[in-house]
Amino acid sequence: MANLRKKFSALVVGAAALSLTLTACGGGGDSGSGGGGGGSGDDAIDTSNVSGEIDYWLWESAQQPAYQKCADKFQAANPNTKIKIGQFAWDDYWNKLNNAFVAGDAPDVFTDHLAKYPEYITNEQLVPLDATLKKDGFNVDQYQPGLADLWVGSDGKRYGLPKDFDTTAVFYNKKLVKDAGISEDQLKAMTWNPKDGGTYEKMAAHLTVDVNGKRGDEAGFDKSKVKVYGLGLDGGGGNGVGQTQWSMYTGSNGWTFTDKNPWGTHYNYDQPQFQETIGWVRTLIDKGYMPSIPAVTGQSSSDIFAAGKYAMLVNGSWVTNAMFSAKGIETGLAPTPVGPTGKNASMYNGLADSIWVGTDNKPLSAKWVEFLGSPECQNIVGEAAVVFPAIPSGTKIAEAAWKAKGIDLEPFTSHLENKTTFLFPITDHASQIEGIMQPAMDAVLTGQADPSSFTEANNQVNALFG
Amino acid sequence: MATTTASLNSTAAVSAAPVKSHRRMGGGRIVAWTALIIIILVTLFPFYWMLRTALSTTNALFSDPAKLLPVEFTWGAFARVLGLATPAEARAEGGSGASVQFFLYLRNSAIFSIVATAGQVFCSALAAYAFARLKWPGRNIVFFLFLTALMVPPIYTALPNFILIKNLGLLNTFPGLIAPYFFMTPFAIFFLRQFFLGLSQEIEEAAKLDGAGHWRIFFQIILPMSSAPLVTLGILTFINMWNEYLWPLLVGTGENTRVLTVALGVFRTQSPQSGPDWAGLMAAVLIAALPLLILFFAFAKRIVNSIGFSGMK
Amino acid sequence: MSDTWVPAEVVTSEDVSRRPRRRSGGGGDLAMALVFIIPATIGFVVFYLYPSIRGFYFSLTRYNLLGSPHFIGVDNYVRLVNDKLFWNALLVTVEYVLINIGLQTILAVGIAVLMHRLTKSTLVRGLILMPFLISNVIAALLWFWLLDYQVGLVNEFISFVGLDRIAFFGDGKWAIPTIALVNVWRHMGYTALLVFAGLQTIPSYVYEAASVDGSTEWRSFWRITLPLLRPILALVLVITVTGSFQVFDTVAVTTRGGPVNASRVMQYYIVQKGFQQGEFGYASAISVILFIILAIVALVQLRLLRAGESDLA
Repeated sequence: MANLRKKFSALVVGAAALSLTLTACGGGGDSGSGGGGGGSGDDAIDTSNVSGEIDYWLWESAQQPAYQKCADKFQAANPNTKIKIGQFAWDDYWNKLNNAFVAGDAPDVFTDHLAKYPEYITNEQLVPLDATLKKDGFNVDQYQPGLADLWVGSDGKRYGLPKDFDTTAVFYNKKLVKDAGISEDQLKAMTWNPKDGGTYEKMAAHLTVDVNGKRGDEAGFDKSKVKVYGLGLDGGGGNGVGQTQWSMYTGSNGWTFTDKNPWGTHYNYDQPQFQETIGWVRTLIDKGYMPSIPAVTGQSSSDIFAAGKYAMLVNGSWVTNAMFSAKGIETGLAPTPVGPTGKNASMYNGLADSIWVGTDNKPLSAKWVEFLGSPECQNIVGEAAVVFPAIPSGTKIAEAAWKAKGIDLEPFTSHLENKTTFLFPITDHASQIEGIMQPAMDAVLTGQADPSSFTEANNQVNALFG
Repeated sequence: MATTTASLNSTAAVSAAPVKSHRRMGGGRIVAWTALIIIILVTLFPFYWMLRTALSTTNALFSDPAKLLPVEFTWGAFARVLGLATPAEARAEGGSGASVQFFLYLRNSAIFSIVATAGQVFCSALAAYAFARLKWPGRNIVFFLFLTALMVPPIYTALPNFILIKNLGLLNTFPGLIAPYFFMTPFAIFFLRQFFLGLSQEIEEAAKLDGAGHWRIFFQIILPMSSAPLVTLGILTFINMWNEYLWPLLVGTGENTRVLTVALGVFRTQSPQSGPDWAGLMAAVLIAALPLLILFFAFAKRIVNSIGFSGMK
Repeated sequence: MSDTWVPAEVVTSEDVSRRPRRRSGGGGDLAMALVFIIPATIGFVVFYLYPSIRGFYFSLTRYNLLGSPHFIGVDNYVRLVNDKLFWNALLVTVEYVLINIGLQTILAVGIAVLMHRLTKSTLVRGLILMPFLISNVIAALLWFWLLDYQVGLVNEFISFVGLDRIAFFGDGKWAIPTIALVNVWRHMGYTALLVFAGLQTIPSYVYEAASVDGSTEWRSFWRITLPLLRPILALVLVITVTGSFQVFDTVAVTTRGGPVNASRVMQYYIVQKGFQQGEFGYASAISVILFIILAIVALVQLRLLRAGESDLA
C-alpha cells in the first residue's frame, strides 16, 4: 500500500515538474506566429522586383477556375513567380487556417471574412497595407462605395482589399406564385410593418398551402400540416446577425446593430425596433406561414426550395446559381420588401484578401493582393458569374454574364444604386457574441422566451466591451 | 418434428426434455432469424439510399425527395469522383467543377493505411504481451496509464502533434502523416492484451519447460494462436486509418500525400448555407468504402475460424 | 523501484511465487518487458503524454492560441463550477451515453450471439459491419438528410400515413436520442464484431457439455457465454463508454449544440470555447475534468468486471 502511494506521488510530482519544464521550452513552439511580431511594422513593401512562390487559399471551389486564370495572367506578367492556389471546403477552411496560424504554417495570402478578421487583427496575424498601397499609387476608392472601409481596422490601418460583395433578395417559385394568382409585379412591390406585416405577410399567407389544399388566409387552414410555406427560413435564427433571416426587416425599420459600424462598442438589441421586428417574425412562424426553427434544422434552404416547399425565400446573392439551377423549378427574383422607413434594405457583406504576418515573401504577396484587387483580375472573376466583384466594372461584367444565362440580378444590385445597404456588424468579440445571441434568438423564435429577453442578452453582449 | 433434433443439440442423448426444448428451439430460431433480418435491413437501407443518390443528378435530387429510385439517372457522379468529368459537365449537374486525381489519392490512402496498420498492430502486440504475460512491477499502473490515452480528446493532441511534425520538417511527407499512428493506439493494446489473457497457458508452460525464452514464445506460439484477433484488429485499424480525416487534412495537403478522404472533401459543402454535391458525395463515399469491403471479405474467413486452440490432447 | 529488499519470509503480496522454478523469471521480467514495450512507449509519450501534459498546463492559464498563455492558477476551475453551460454539457452527455451505450451493447451482444449460433456466413458478418466503413461525419450527414423534417424520406413517410412530422434533430426532446441512435446504427456492427471475436475464444466443448446436461440456449447464454466473455465485454464497455463520452462529429455536423443547448455535449462545448471563442485555457480545464471523469469510469468498470483475469486461462 505504502509503495502504491509512493508511486502515485512520484507520478504527480513528475508530471508537475515535466509540465513546468515544458512550458519553459514549449512556449516557443506555438507562438510561432510571434516570429513576425515585430516585423508587422508599417513600412512600405517594395513590390518592384518580385519572384518566388507563395500560397493562396480560398474556399469557394466554383471560383477556383477564375482565380487560376488570374494567377496565370499574373505569372505571365511577372516571370519567376508562382501562385499555388489551395482550396478547402468551407467547413474545413477556418479549422485549417487557425491551426496553420498557431503552428506558423499559414498561407501567404488568403481569403478573409468580416466575421473573423477582427480577431486576427487583435492577434497580430495580418499585415497592414497602407504604406505599400500609397507607395504604389494604388487607388483604394475604385470599389463599390463602403466596401473599402470595411477592411480598415480599429487601429486605422487597412488589412485587406475588397474582392467581392453580396446582398440579399427574395427568391420565389414562379409556378407557385402563378397558381396563387399573384402577379410578379405585385411581388416586386411588397411592403411590411411590424404590426400587421403589410402586403408581404398577405402574400406569404396566400402562398402557404396545407396538405388539404387550403391556403393560409382561408378558413380551415391547418397550420400543423403545411405542405408549402409562403415564406421560407434560411437555416435557423441567424444568431445575432440574421443576414438572410431578419436583417432586411430590422434594417428597413430604422434599426442599426451598433452605435457605429465598423468598430462599434455598443449593441442595440434592447431597442424596440429590433424586438418588435423579431416578435413579428415569430408571429409568422406561429401562424404557419414560415417554418419553425426545428423544421429548418436540416438541409439547406436552397435544397428545400428545390423541393418546392417554399414559395418565397430570402437568401443571399452567393446562392444564386444553386437557386436557379434546381431542375423542375422556375425561379424568380424580387427585391426585399419596403419597411416603415419607406425604403427596403439589405445587409452588405464582402470578402477581401489579406496577407499573413508570417509570410516570408512579402513583396510577392503584396503584389498578388494588389493584382487581386485590380480590375484586371476582378473582370475575369466577373465573367465566371459566381459572385459580384467589388470593382464596378467587374460587377457590370458579372451582371451581364448572368443575364446571358437568363438571370436578371437587378433586385440585388438595386440596393447599390438606391443606397439601401447597411454593413455587416464588425466589432470585437464576435464569437462570444454569437455564443450569447444564438441561444437567445432561438429561444425567442421558438416561443420559449419573449422578445424582451433580448434586453438581458444585450447587457451580456455589451458587458464584453466593458 | 423429430428431425429438428439435428439442430444445435448435436448429441444423440435424448431425455424427456427434448420434445419441449426443440419445439422451443424451432420457434426460437424463427424469431432469431427474423430479428437478424430486420437488423440487416435497417443497417443496409441507408446504403441503398446512398447508391440511389449516387446514380441521380444533384440538381434534380430534391424535385422528388422521397423517390426510391434514382432521380434523373446518370453516371455523372461516378465520373466526377473518378476525375473523368469535365468541369462544365460537373457544373451542369450541380457539382463543383473541381478536379479529382482519384488514383493518386487512392495510392496515398493505401500507403498511409497499410503502413500505419502494420506498425500499429505489431508494436501494440509487443506491448500487449508485456502486459498480459510478463510479470513486472507497476505493470497494471502503466497499463492503465496507456489506457488513459483514450480519454484525451483528439482535438487536443492534433494541434501539438501538428506543431511537432512541422518543427521536424515532416509536413506533407508520409512519415509525418503516419507517425502518430505507427506506434500504438490505446485501443490496440487493450484489445490484444484482453485476448492474450484469455489464451490457455499450457502450451506456453510446456515451451518454457523446453527452455524457450519470451521472444520465441511470442513469435512462435502467441502470434500464431492469436491470428483471429490479430486479423480482426488489423481490419478494424485499417478501416479507421482509411477513414481518418482531421489529421491528414492538417498534415497531408500536398498532392503526393493527400489521402482520399481529404480529397473527396470537394464534394462537401463549399460555401456557407448551401448544400453539398449529394450525388458526387455519395458516389465518393461508396467508392472509398469499396476497398474496405473487399479487404474485409478477403480476410473474413480468418476471423471466423476459431483460434485452433487445442490444449486438450 | 521494486520491493526486493523485503526478506522473503515476510513477503505477503501475491508476487510470492508458488512454483519455485519461476524465481528466475518472477518480478524480474522487467528487463524483457521494457524491450517489449519500447515502441509503444515512444508513441505514447510523444503523441499522447506530452500533449496531455501541455493541455493540463494550459488549463491553468488564459490562452487564446495565437498569443502567449498567461498563468492564472485555478481560476478556470472555479469558473466552470459556476458555469451553467458546463453542467448542462455534463448532463446532456451523460444522457447521451446512457441511451447510446445501453442500446448499442444489448444489440451488439445480441447480434454477435445470433451470428455465432445461427450462421457461419461471412456475408452476414460483412453486411453487419458495413455502417462502420463510412466515417462518422458521412453517417451523420446521411441521417441528417434521411430524417430531415421537410425533405427527409422518413418524415415524408410519416406524413404520408397521416401522422405529424417529427423534427428529429430540431426538437429539444428528440435531438440527443436521435444522435444516439445514429451512432448506434454506425457502431453496432463494429461492437458486434468485437464481441464475436470474443465468442470465438470460448471452446465449443463447453457448450456441448452444457447441452448434454440439458441446458437450453438461453441458460447457456447467461451461465456460460456471458461470464466467459468477461474480458472482452470489459474491453468493449470501456472502449465504447469512453468513446461515447467524447461524441463530437455527429453533433458538429447536425445540430451544432442546438436547439438552444439541448445537444451541447462536452466535447462540442470544449471545441466551441477553445477553438471558436478563443478561450483555450478554459476549454483545457473542461477537458481535464472530462478526462478525470473518464478515468474514474474506466477504473470502476475494470475493477467491477475484473478485466485483468480470465476464467478461461
